Amino acid sequence: MLATVVAGLSVLPFLVLALLSVAGPWEFPDLLPTRLRFDRWTAVLSGDSALAPCLGLSLLVSTIVALLATSAGFVTARAVADHPRRRLLMLLAYLPFAASPVILGVCLLYVYIRLGLVATVAGVVLSHTIFAYAFAVVFWVPFWNPEKLAYEDLVRTLGGTRGHAYRHVILPLSKEPVLVCFLQTFLISWFQYGLTLLVGGGKVDTLPLRVYAYVGEANLGYAAVASSLLLLPPLVLSWLNRRVIGRLA
Amino acid sequence: MTTAASFLDVQGLSKSFGAEKVLEDATFRLAERQTLSVLGRSGCGKTTLLKLLAGLHEPDGGSILRRGADITRVPVERRDVVYLYQEPLLFPHLSVFDNVAFGLRLRHVEADRVQKDVTHMLESLDLLDQGDKAPHQLSGGQRQRVSFGRALIVSPSLLLLDEPFSSLDAETRTQMQVLFKRVAALYAITAIFVTHDLKEALIVGDAMATIRSGRLTAYGSKQAFVDDPESGVGSEVDFWESLKGGRYGNDQPV
Amino acid sequence: MSSRSSFEPIGLGLFLLLTVFPVAASLLYAALYGVGAVGLLSHGVTLDHWRRVATSREVWASVALSLYVATAVVALTALLALPLALALRTRLESGFLPYILALPLAMPGTVAAVLALQLLSGAGLLSRLAFRVGLTDGVSAFPSPVHDVALLGVVAVHTALALPFFVFLFVNFYTSERVDAFRTLAGCLGASRVQGLLRVALPILLRRAAPSLTLLFVVALGSFEVPLLLGRQTPQMLSVLTYRKYSLFDVAQKPEAYILALGYAVLVLGLVAMVFRGKRFGHEV
Repeated sequence: MLATVVAGLSVLPFLVLALLSVAGPWEFPDLLPTRLRFDRWTAVLSGDSALAPCLGLSLLVSTIVALLATSAGFVTARAVADHPRRRLLMLLAYLPFAASPVILGVCLLYVYIRLGLVATVAGVVLSHTIFAYAFAVVFWVPFWNPEKLAYEDLVRTLGGTRGHAYRHVILPLSKEPVLVCFLQTFLISWFQYGLTLLVGGGKVDTLPLRVYAYVGEANLGYAAVASSLLLLPPLVLSWLNRRVIGRLA
Repeated sequence: MTTAASFLDVQGLSKSFGAEKVLEDATFRLAERQTLSVLGRSGCGKTTLLKLLAGLHEPDGGSILRRGADITRVPVERRDVVYLYQEPLLFPHLSVFDNVAFGLRLRHVEADRVQKDVTHMLESLDLLDQGDKAPHQLSGGQRQRVSFGRALIVSPSLLLLDEPFSSLDAETRTQMQVLFKRVAALYAITAIFVTHDLKEALIVGDAMATIRSGRLTAYGSKQAFVDDPESGVGSEVDFWESLKGGRYGNDQPV
Repeated sequence: MSSRSSFEPIGLGLFLLLTVFPVAASLLYAALYGVGAVGLLSHGVTLDHWRRVATSREVWASVALSLYVATAVVALTALLALPLALALRTRLESGFLPYILALPLAMPGTVAAVLALQLLSGAGLLSRLAFRVGLTDGVSAFPSPVHDVALLGVVAVHTALALPFFVFLFVNFYTSERVDAFRTLAGCLGASRVQGLLRVALPILLRRAAPSLTLLFVVALGSFEVPLLLGRQTPQMLSVLTYRKYSLFDVAQKPEAYILALGYAVLVLGLVAMVFRGKRFGHEV
């Protein structure tokens, strides 16, 4: 009984969102829309809608952020895990991750202005990367446990270089966490609204910005379409995540 | 003991981490094809000694000579000294065969040769039918044997073993000690074997040394070690003798 | 532990550039701006802005509101997640339920806020249901938790978003901390079922989840997207107020935005440092 209720409540938001995205007129106090319309979706799929370029831009920004954050976090965590002041470094790594992005963004905006990065895609990517990277560092530090460091030493006493250790042992062992970290950092960027608004100055129109713009125009149907697009990668990725990890495990 | 010119000559090796002196002035010699047992409790500096010899740590002072040549600053990968961890540390993504073949492939040995050498090695370790298995499918003793094979196959000039059997059960442990003696003789290995088990140290070693809080004492012969009251052999013998004498027997009134 | 690698300088260099510098620079800049040492209208160092912030009803209302929302979210989440985890524990270890409950984990605050508008506003689905069954007689009669004084909608959205995660967390801890064994032990020592639950299971689970709950507090405290859609004009939560004061045309408000930002950062730093106390990271040398 309880399980059914919980399952129902877990699925319900997605159903409401899907319905809202195809709802025609839906006046108070109707519980269901009087008519369904699919033109919003066909417009997006055919690329006619203003949403299509936003989708592309969001994909581009999040992919770059995920690539940068995952690789930089991997390298930094190796240095942090082996460092005598590890505790202090970890505390520092948590800061941007725990601080409100908007508030840190406000404080840093001066730097973005001076670097000419405000209202540019590069500026938005950088601002997202700072947060995604902090997450990636925190994510990768446990990966570099004594065993991994011992593998590195072991390969070298067997006559291999550090490069060999990475190519033949460390990288093959990190395939799965690389994937997970990539997905997580992708989503950190993908959902980001406040920083994009602040640093992008409203000029870098990603999907979350579109959602708010539509809500502002009282256009809930389009807000629901944009929201559905926003949900697509996390759902696909979490499914993929389970599948890939299930297979690797 | 052998009187041959020493193969390994360690002089005044020292290492501190911060203010803590982990190893002080360690000096000993080791002849070729001999195994030196180093006996000591955990945290006494045994692991540091091995890591200095392997080149994984840099010493603060002292020198390491091999056949008279100074190898103190030779980088790990060119030192030809293999360090074996307490854990077998098999590469989880490689099969048993590929684990053993790892060092040969690093050296770009041709495939036929790899096949032959690895098969031979697996055979001498009683692992011939295990080659295709993944490390997690093996027992603790088998894993440790694969770890041996992976090290021995590159014919290191010196093999360092850091309590390799400490996580095994008593029976497997005894088997492994015998196997180690056999394989070390077969492959003409010079080794340093660190353990905290007195009996194991005596079974495995040709020469003996102890470490207590960073200070290494090397013994001229096995007999000298047995005769030293500090070694603990005496009290051990007394205990077993006392059993014979019936002091712990059933006839003892409680 | 092992010898130095080229990773060391590159890794730590990136860390300086991407984490230490941004955080340090922003705190410093905020501090300087707050005392008028830098900024467009700077007339030299002054404590006027601090005085104005310290005596502003709006600011204190915002601080109180943010603390209230964060506290309510943490309390509600713990209160709901614990019984749910205990009740659904066996169902969540296999079968399809874990997959279903994992779905909301993919939901961002933005989308949840849009849905909350649709469900909870005066003309929303709940209001329509209430009207249909005769509980209310129109849109305005529905006590909507959207744009309300108590920010119930904001609290509800954050709680709903955190709930699945914490249910999974408690289920994991129940196994990893061997709570079953401890409950049996308590039973052997003469504890009743309820005593075993309240005096053994709950303290173990809550203590284990304390760092995660503190982080939830921090997330709710700094929330921006959700109150932006579901909150009121005044009072506003800290992130929203800071952003508004910053982006206003009235340049005189900017120093206040920076003071708020600084105050918030110090508060969060304190909380994070608290979580860190006694926590070990990986291995010790």
